[in-house]
Amino acid sequence: MNWIQVLLLVAAMALVAFLLRSRGSVQARAWVKVGYLLFVLAGIYAILRPDDTTVLANLVGVRRGTDLMLYALIIAFAFTTLSTYMRFRDVELRYARLARAIALEGAQEPTDERSREEKTTLMSARAKKNKPDERSREEKQAR
Amino acid sequence: MTCILWGIETRYPDVWIVVPAFNEAAVIGEVISDVRSVFDHVVVVDDGSADDTGGIAHRAGAHLVRHPVNLGQGAAIQTGVEYARSQPGAEVFVTFDADGQHRVKDVLRMIDRLRTEDVDIVIGTRFAEPEASTKVPFVKRVVLRTAVLLSVRSRRLGLSDAHNGLRVFNRNVAQRLDITMSGMSHASEFIALIDENHWRVTEEPVEILYTDYSRSKGQPLVNGVNIVFDGLMRGRKSR
Repeated sequence: MNWIQVLLLVAAMALVAFLLRSRGSVQARAWVKVGYLLFVLAGIYAILRPDDTTVLANLVGVRRGTDLMLYALIIAFAFTTLSTYMRFRDVELRYARLARAIALEGAQEPTDERSREEKTTLMSARAKKNKPDERSREEKQAR
Repeated sequence: MTCILWGIETRYPDVWIVVPAFNEAAVIGEVISDVRSVFDHVVVVDDGSADDTGGIAHRAGAHLVRHPVNLGQGAAIQTGVEYARSQPGAEVFVTFDADGQHRVKDVLRMIDRLRTEDVDIVIGTRFAEPEASTKVPFVKRVVLRTAVLLSVRSRRLGLSDAHNGLRVFNRNVAQRLDITMSGMSHASEFIALIDENHWRVTEEPVEILYTDYSRSKGQPLVNGVNIVFDGLMRGRKSR
């Protein structure tokens, strides 16, 4: 096996491991920034001395520096795609909760007599039980 | 517990039927009237329908909660349960599809079992009896059975039909229910929640009425791929 294959496989594994860990923590975000900084520095170096990427590529078993860049790009793209997917899902959940809060705010009771009558009967039955706050307390605990 | 109201005996004052509905104007009125002939408390969650689903349901006597935008069936069920559990006296919760594929008499049997047996949740199954399962269209049957075989949790819990929309559960389950999969993956999430919370679960054979209408509204089977994927990604998120 070529060294490039090993490196790419390790990168792919790291990708999965990183995604599966709890994201959004302060450390994770800090490491993303450090990684980005290293990436920029490497980019600057590669721009100034383009032939060195070929040397590096040869070192890991790739013929041209351009090919090495392509491999790196594929990994980076896969990473971005997955993290975007995860991020979107988090956002969608919040969005659902927001919409739910609005929906519950505007809930409409049925207008017919039977249900209203039923409701008052139940309310008074509950009041007699002498524990009117229990439900709402449970509700709070559940959150 | 029985109450006499307007000369009608209502035996289910503590039961709430949760009906998620999206663009079901053609059938929702009939479905709600049917449910309301037995149960007083029905909450319809109109999941941002473009038609008058919510209005029709409300006029048919249902409580109406309207999502301002379309969120998906899972989100609608969660909304309905949250509404129902905040109502005084609510003890039994039922999820019931809006397209008319479930039968009220199945619900009655499931409620009986919830009350008499030592369980927290009763889920409907299409596959309990051989003759019942032949009524399920062939391709659908194969896919649903495969889904069960692939799901370690379903097998461990002894469930044969994880994607049945008919469920009856008690206050304990309703209180802790937190469906985060807004779309159709909520059925698998429901199973996962049962497993994680150690709710006691059982199945009741039910019949699904496969009308042309419900067939046309059903999810495409290829959506199973999404459901499996969402299941794998579940829990990988910051809550």
